[in-house]
Parts: sequence; C-alpha cells; structure tokens
Amino acid sequence: MRHHLKRSIAHWIILVALAATIFVGDDSLADERLNGFLKKAVDIAQPKTVKIFGASVGRVEGYGTGIIVSNDGHIITGNGVYLNGYSTRVTLNNGETYPVKVIRRDSNLQLALLKIDASTPDFFELGETPAAEKGDWVIAVSNAFKVAERAEPLSVTLGILSLETKMTAKRRGTEVIYDGPLYLIDCITSNPGAAGGAVVTADGELVGMIGKLIESKETNTRMNYAVPEKLLARFLAGKPSESTQASTSPKGNSKPADLGITLFSLGGRKSPAFVDRVRRGSAAKKAGIRSDDLIVTLAGQTISNSTDYKSVLATLIPGEKTVIVVKRRNSLERFDIVPDEKK
Amino acid sequence: MGHQRVFELIAERIEMMFELSQAGKNKSGVSVGSSLIRFRGPRQDRVAGFPVFKTIALGVLVLGVILSTSLTHLNAQEDQPDIGLSAGILLAPKAFRAATKKVLPCLVTIESFGGVGAVQGKIGGIRRQGEGSTTGIIVSKDGYVITSSFNFIQKPRVITLKTSDGSAYLAKPIANDNTRKLTLLKIQNESKTGEAKPLNLNVAKFMSEEEIRVGQWAVTVGIGFGDVNPAISIGIVSAKNRGFGRAIQTDANVSPANYGGPMIDVQGRIIGVCVPLNPKSSSLASGVEWYDSGIGFAIPLYDQSIIEKLKKGKDINKAYLGIQPKPAKLDGSGVKVVTVVKTSPAEKAGLKKDDEIVKLGKYIVQDVNQFGTLVGRFDSDSKTKITYLRGGKPMTSELAFTVPPKVTPTRPNPGSPKLSPAKKEDKGKKAQPKKSNAENENGK
Repeated sequence: MRHHLKRSIAHWIILVALAATIFVGDDSLADERLNGFLKKAVDIAQPKTVKIFGASVGRVEGYGTGIIVSNDGHIITGNGVYLNGYSTRVTLNNGETYPVKVIRRDSNLQLALLKIDASTPDFFELGETPAAEKGDWVIAVSNAFKVAERAEPLSVTLGILSLETKMTAKRRGTEVIYDGPLYLIDCITSNPGAAGGAVVTADGELVGMIGKLIESKETNTRMNYAVPEKLLARFLAGKPSESTQASTSPKGNSKPADLGITLFSLGGRKSPAFVDRVRRGSAAKKAGIRSDDLIVTLAGQTISNSTDYKSVLATLIPGEKTVIVVKRRNSLERFDIVPDEKK
Repeated sequence: MGHQRVFELIAERIEMMFELSQAGKNKSGVSVGSSLIRFRGPRQDRVAGFPVFKTIALGVLVLGVILSTSLTHLNAQEDQPDIGLSAGILLAPKAFRAATKKVLPCLVTIESFGGVGAVQGKIGGIRRQGEGSTTGIIVSKDGYVITSSFNFIQKPRVITLKTSDGSAYLAKPIANDNTRKLTLLKIQNESKTGEAKPLNLNVAKFMSEEEIRVGQWAVTVGIGFGDVNPAISIGIVSAKNRGFGRAIQTDANVSPANYGGPMIDVQGRIIGVCVPLNPKSSSLASGVEWYDSGIGFAIPLYDQSIIEKLKKGKDINKAYLGIQPKPAKLDGSGVKVVTVVKTSPAEKAGLKKDDEIVKLGKYIVQDVNQFGTLVGRFDSDSKTKITYLRGGKPMTSELAFTVPPKVTPTRPNPGSPKLSPAKKEDKGKKAQPKKSNAENENGK
C-alpha cells in the first residue's frame, strides 16, 4: 500500500511538471500561431519572387515584379514595353542583380518569359491543379510602387480569392481581347509595378500571378486579379493560351448562321435589340418570334444591344438548336430556335 | 499529454483518496477529519493517518495547481483567444463560403436594356455605368426586390430579373429612396387576365441594429462581374450610423460589381444593401469614386417601414424645413431663425423670425452646422416635434417635413437675395455658408 502511494506521489510530481510545461509551452506556441499564421506563406513566397527594373516609357512605369518558375533562372512576368530596353535587370531576394533576356511573350494573356544566367533553387513549380477556391485567403507579394529596393523584401498584402471567372476587359481605355479565365482577388493589386507578383495561399502555394492593370467592361472599374497558375504552366510549356486557340479556329469550318431577324437600327450600334422584321420562312418565324419583340438572351448570352446580338449570332451553328428569350409586352417568352445557314 | 488524460488521472487520484480514507476509517474507526486532529495520536492511528493526510494535502495542492492553470488557460482563451483565433482566421474562408451560399437564394441577377446611357455614353458626370448585370435582394415573397439606384442610372426601358433557381421575370421600378440610393423593384407576375401568379420567393433576413457590431466580419456579395456566381469581398464593419445615420461603413470592397447586392455577416444574415455613397454629396453616382478606397457603405434595413413606404410608389427624399438659420449666441452656438419660407413645413409648424430652436425630435440642437446634420437625418415624409424658445418661453409644435420646392431651371436675378428658391433646395448646403458668415462676424 505504501509502495503504491509512493509511486502515485512520483506520478503526481511528473504530472504537475508536465502540466506546467504544457501551459508554458502553449504560450510561446500560441504567440507564433497568433501573430505569424501567414509567416510560412510569406517565407516561402519571398525568395521565389523578384524585382524587375527596366526603362520607363512615357507614363508607363519602368519596373515590375516577376515569379521564378525554374531552377535555372526562368521568370514569368507581365508583358510590357519596359522589358524592351537594353538595361532590363532582375534583382533576386538576396539582392543579387542579373541582366535579363526576354524569351517569349504572349500578347493575349499579356505574359512574358524571361531568363537570367543564375541558378534559382527557390522557384514555383507550376501545376494545373488550383491551389485555392473562392473565399480562401490569398497573399499577394509584389513590388507595387517600387517600395522595395535591392535586397529589401517585397510588399505583402492579404486578401481573399473573390471569384474565378471569364471576362472581357479594357486596358487604358481600349477594349482588349482577354477572355481567358482569371481569379478576381479581394486584395488591392491594381497598382504600378505589382503586375508579375506572386499570389499564394496561406500555405505558400502559388495561386497565380498578378495581372497587368485592366478595367472590367462589366463594371467600368479597375480590377484586382491573378492569372491562374494553370495558364502560366501552359505559357511556360510553350502552349498557346486558350483564347488564342479559340480565335484561330472559330467553331470549325461551319458556315455562318442566320435567324432571319432584322433589328431596329435606331440610336446606333448600342441600341437595344428590338425586332423590326422577321423574314418569312426563316428560323425566327418558325420559332415564333414577332416584330417588336425585344431580344433579351440568345444561346444563354445576354443581349444588351444590337452589337451583342451580332456577336452572339456569329457563334451559332446552323442546324444546332438553341434558345432565344424575348420580352413581349409584360412577360418573357422563351423559344427554341434552329438557325438556318446564311445564304 | 492531452487534457483528457489529465482529467482521467485526476479522477483516478480522487477515487484513490476516497478509498484510502475509507480504509483509514475502517481500521482506526475514526473519520478522516478526526484522523487529522489526532495526527500525533497513538501509533496505530499514525500509521493510517499520516498517509491519509499527506494524500489529501497533496491532492488538494495538485488539484489547486491544475485548476488554477486550467482556469488561467480558459481565461486566456476568453480574453485573448490564442489558438482559437488563428484557427478561426484560417477557417474563416469556410465561413465566408457558407455565408455566401446561404444568402444566394434571396438574390436576383438584374439585367437592363436600353436607356439614355446606352446611347449617350457618360452619365452622372462621374463614371459611366458598366455593361454587366447587377444584383438585387428579394424582400417579399410576392416579388418586391430592393437594389441600388446606381444600377438604373441609365434609366433602362426594360429590366429583367433572374432568381437563383434560374427563373427569369420582367420587373419594373416602383419607387426610389434618394437619401439611401435604393430602388424598389416589383416582379411583373400578372398574367394576361390581370391575376397575380404566386411567386413564393425566398425572402432575405436583415439584421437588427443591436446585432450589428463595429469590427465584425463583413462579406459583400455581387453578381456584377458578369458571372452566374457572385464575387465576394471581405472586410469588417467600420462604423455604424454614417451618412446622416442611414448607412453602415465597411472596408470590404463596395463597387459597381456589388451595388445592390448584400453585405452579410459570417452567418449569412444581411447587414445592408451595398450602395455608392458620399455623405457630402447627393448626386446619384457620388461615392463611386471610392470604390477601391477601403470606404464603402451598405444601407441597413432594420427599419422595414422604408420598404413599406416605397411599396406605395412614393419616392423618399431629403427632408426640407424652410428656414434660414443663424447662430443664436455670440460664440456661434445655438440656432436662431432669420427667415421662414412661405408655405414651408417651418411656417406650417408655426415658426417665426427670431425663434431659437433648441430641440428637433429627440436631438438637442447645438449650432447651425449640427442643426443641418440633424435635419439631414429625416426623410421628406417624416414627422417630428420641434421645440423652440420664443421670447424666452419654450414652445413645441408638430413638424411635417416635405420635399424641397421645385427649382426653376432658369436662374433668377443674379443679384437677388438669399431667399431665392434655388438656395432653398439643400438644407445642409445652406447651413454651410451661414456658418462661415458667423465666423466672420465673430472675427470682427
């Protein structure tokens, strides 16, 4: 009995000591988790992201950011005129600076592949699997406004992934063909020099690369977005981007479609798509479209104006059934329609 | 060592202590308590009593240590959540997604067709509206939808709505709340015979004023980027009672992409309707320029009477009182009536020249500037009490605000006095120069 008791006392001393260490240990651990829950991501991303300095052309800033994508000095960044000069150079995380050779550009996705003569053991391995979904934390690492010089670490900002979407956009007031998928991020990155920066998850995995400054056509606002990792991977592999493929081979060899609808042409090309006349025996007539109907959607696309109608009509394939929605008096009517071949 | 194991061990110890005390009791025939007292008693007792005492003492000590550390640990979790907070932050994205999913059935995608903007281009002086769809929130089963007036800046001829289940409807604007930049839409569900088809839509739940706390998570949701899925943006509630007490301020992104969409909490309850707002200006598009500034506004609807008013088809405007005020005292404080506009609400309430206004509704009047802000808190159709001193005697009368009188488009005499109707349109603006006058007077 006494022996048992002694052993239990010994147990207790150990227990108390253990308990004490648990709670003491907890504090320091908690501090690291509390104040540095994104430290890991930043530590991973910083050495894989570089500063790029080139010539400034007019009002276009002469600097940017880039991500290292191979162990032998390949870097992807946003395409820009500042890369055209003779003195373009890259500054690594450790402050070492190297001259740059531009290997390839993609005017559609606005990407440029650069190469420096240095080994770069820290690099982002580009894959096709998305690292983040909508709502996930993302960290943007960039040299916006050229705040960091030489070996100084890049600026890090926190946000979330807002939406993965496709969209049409504008750059410097003119419409550009950018209908590739992209990640909208809820993190201000639409600033000079930020393009080419890394967007990573809370674990430091690459989500995408901060894109060049563009304005959304839908909202007329500047967009904060990232070019998804898989598009970067395809660019690195030398594959043409999706939308380029789409524009070079539009819907195979099919002939243009016709619905037999003539729209009102009042107020120019931005006027709503009101039906003026429906040709006898045409696809629209067969479907039940009447004069004065307002075309609201065609093939699932919103038709805001007559220009939209023309561009959607161009994508239709003769003989392939689709859906047209029109506004007639106080209701929306939906019709199946089979486009004819244009004569 | 896990907490579970610690507690198991404690339970084990307590059981053992109980067994020991029972054993001592049986052997010596005394209770544990008496064994303590008789510690220096006969040898027979000492044998059993000493370990019992020691066990209890040790047990109490250890329990104390464990309890105190556990308690401080628990306290720490409450006062300064450590692991809980970081885990919470890392898990927050799940909450954002869940909340967004919860609110989706109450949202509609709005498309507009035609309108002046479609032809002329720039509207509102500040920024052209984009071409994308916008967001609205369902506020009644039978088809009322609240959204931001910004979405109709182009005065579209046709508006269509699409609910989350894919059903499409035509809608027409019923009324605008120009003070909150809201527009109420109604789904046109009347069949050709004029009967209303039942809609049974999912109605959004708005949070109450007490439930909304500054610093809480805020998620803004909007369909504006031309995708069927909404884009989300996160931030916190920055302030309440902004813009004459009508708006909640947030640092989550509020932009043309989500005007008319909801700002929700992490439980998917609606804090407010996202709108462009600049408290300094009443222009329809003002506030858009702040779309990526970290300052955004959402209109809470804890007062559902706003919706009821709009349902009647009457617009809500800024309140108009119809007096010209000046400071009552030399130090610039107080409000004294200089002139009362004929047939204005002020005249109807019986206000006269030289009355000193001391109270408006429940608010105490301090100076001319603050009085302008107080009037700004009221809508054009609201009623309140106004208290004033006439010859030192306090008087109270009922006051029914109205909309400002129509401004004549042709400018009156350039040299005409301040009483021209054009000067009467905006209470806040009028109070401003008056204050500077007061300052000049004080300077003299």
